[in-house]
Amino acid sequence: MQGIPTVLITVEPEESAQARPPRALCPRGFVAGHSLGRPNDEALQKWIAMDALALLREPARPGEVIRRDYT
Amino acid sequence: MEKPLELSRYCVPFTPFSKPLEESLICLVTTAAVRAKNDTPFNVEGDNTFRRIDASLTSRDLAYDDAHYDHACVDRDLNCVFPIDRLSSLAREGRIAGMTPEHFSMGFSQALRELRETTVPQLARAVSGARPDAVLLTGG
Repeated sequence: MQGIPTVLITVEPEESAQARPPRALCPRGFVAGHSLGRPNDEALQKWIAMDALALLREPARPGEVIRRDYT
Repeated sequence: MEKPLELSRYCVPFTPFSKPLEESLICLVTTAAVRAKNDTPFNVEGDNTFRRIDASLTSRDLAYDDAHYDHACVDRDLNCVFPIDRLSSLAREGRIAGMTPEHFSMGFSQALRELRETTVPQLARAVSGARPDAVLLTGG
């Protein structure tokens, strides 16, 4: 089976790093149940989703969790 | 210094990606125990099954079965953990080409061996069958 490019949005970066993800984004300060932020905040959620997808196009940093601020 | 626990003793599973996002179909895969409202609920104490979620559905058509993460956000907007409406919007804006016909959700499970040996291979085959250009993973 061919490989599938993936990117993870995680709010538990230490735990996620143990699983060695190929690409991972951590919105700093967000918690489980709120990975993409505030309810009904479409702009924020789309911003985080696109930032995660953009990691697919950025230079590879496999195993690293990229932390960014969205507040 | 203590060596950190390694849940993965294998190589980082990296598949290169070079397509423009505007030409890419995205598949959502989550462990947040999301499903269509008319689908079988996940067992919140532990469940090694997964659900298929038709990409034509909206967040209003979905439910979740969870006892492990804070629900203040998802009770108002499931996009907080499963951004199906947001990807739909990004597709209308032309920022991604679209979504795969199906998305997928796992539930809560700590049965790591069964997940690795049975559930995840089945899920990977199902995801592959949806023919995504890339997968966006969320944990909840």
